[in-house]
Amino acid sequence: MLCERCKIREANIQYTEVFNGVKTDHHFCAQCARELDFGQYSSIFEGEFPFAEFLSALLGGETPSKRQEKYQQIVCPTCGTTYDEFVKNSCFGCADCYGVFDVLIHDNIKHIQGSDHHKGKIPAGRQADGEDAQQTADPSETGEQSVRSRIQLLERQLKDALRKEEYETAAWCRDQIRALKEGKENDV
Amino acid sequence: MSEWFEEIDAERKNVVCSRVRLTRNWDEYVFPSRLDDGKAAEMIRRLCEGMKDIDGLLGLKYDVVDLSQLGELELRILREHRVLNSSIIKKKAPMAMLLSEDESVSLVLNGADHIRIQVLRAGLHMADAWKMANEADDYVGSRFSYAFDEKYGYLTSFPTNVGTGLRAAAIVHLPSLSLGKKFPLLVSDMARFGVLIRGICGEGRENYGALYEISNQKTMGQSEQEIVDMVSRVAAQLDDQENQVREMAMKTHRLVREDELYKSYGVLKYARRLSMKEAMSYLSQIMAGTADGLIRFSRPVSVPRLILGIQTANLQNLSDKPLDKDELDAARAEYLREELPQLC
Repeated sequence: MLCERCKIREANIQYTEVFNGVKTDHHFCAQCARELDFGQYSSIFEGEFPFAEFLSALLGGETPSKRQEKYQQIVCPTCGTTYDEFVKNSCFGCADCYGVFDVLIHDNIKHIQGSDHHKGKIPAGRQADGEDAQQTADPSETGEQSVRSRIQLLERQLKDALRKEEYETAAWCRDQIRALKEGKENDV
Repeated sequence: MSEWFEEIDAERKNVVCSRVRLTRNWDEYVFPSRLDDGKAAEMIRRLCEGMKDIDGLLGLKYDVVDLSQLGELELRILREHRVLNSSIIKKKAPMAMLLSEDESVSLVLNGADHIRIQVLRAGLHMADAWKMANEADDYVGSRFSYAFDEKYGYLTSFPTNVGTGLRAAAIVHLPSLSLGKKFPLLVSDMARFGVLIRGICGEGRENYGALYEISNQKTMGQSEQEIVDMVSRVAAQLDDQENQVREMAMKTHRLVREDELYKSYGVLKYARRLSMKEAMSYLSQIMAGTADGLIRFSRPVSVPRLILGIQTANLQNLSDKPLDKDELDAARAEYLREELPQLC
């Protein structure tokens, strides 16, 4: 069948329009389809025909590649490992990567390891630090606890924000957490 | 000093060895995959400098081995001895190792992670191996600050090692159990306990010599002691089950077993050419036969040592020249003819 618009090229796109309960079938070639205005679906006729994009456009979701792009922008400031590289090699570049990619990889780690919390040996020095901190924090335990619960709350908010891809909120949460962690003693 | 694989565990005869590995990183450097050669060399130098007084740790003497200076053959021999793994020997960056004389304790520097502590013990001595690894870890940890996170534990290059960073493994010999119809089921059942079991010699589904490595699948959420106990328990369980099957076979098919065993001995002692597959299968018979007291030699023999002896890199090394496949098979047969003692 020839394209009903140009009547030159072979029609390879069938467009079904339902208007006031009346169904009309149209047959266009790819080039004419690109030139016509199909509202929000126009993008699917541009360039190649990516199936995934087509599907997610229909379902009103974001295209996977766009989503990927946003994750790709996350880079570990210490070693320069990108999220993309991590996915490719499943290998971290430095200790800080765990913090940077935490929200993105948390579920994966839980899946691989069946747990997301370390149990067992703690390096000798750290243990002593922890005990010291607890001892000094003892007199004002409630204050310490409220800071800790605030951090936990913020961490949850940060996770939510990242899931919704609200990066500004996420950044704000991250800064707040950092400030709370650093200024713990001062606050208490 | 004799090497660790010369010993045999009289209690658990089907358990060849126990191994504990700890993966650690120094918080002053990025992980090896992101570390440039200059920084890596600097880190190795500082690590070696800081561990100058290592002699005496666990009552052993250590050599510093510059892995980047070793030839391919030497690296492959270390791999056959289970001191290094294949990803380390392929790596081109600066790497070093502190290796005890008997090869039982090794600290690989700048492998997949900054420091990999490994302790190997003959037989089922997992608790011992962990105790030794823990002591070595305390030694290193008191000199360098580890990359550690309250939530994730010891931070490692691969998320599969994070947490305790501990991998406990045992090599078990299961010639009869692995012939059973239920064996594949047993293998898949192991996964439910978080234990991985795999054949160590051969390709695909084949496993010549019936040697299996069992190890913990997960490194986080369980304490070191729990992991070590679990792998140890599974190894002991497999050893018991293997013995049960063999005892049964001894009652009903003693002649068949003896026949297979002595035929194997005959082939190993007199053959002129032996492929890896043949040699491993016959040595497996010898190992089971010695464990069950069906065969006696004029002097004690360690089958694990013979298995290491017939590996490709070791034979290449003994012959001082590169060997093609036929020459290799001939060298393997010759090695076994000489090393296998007479019967008594």
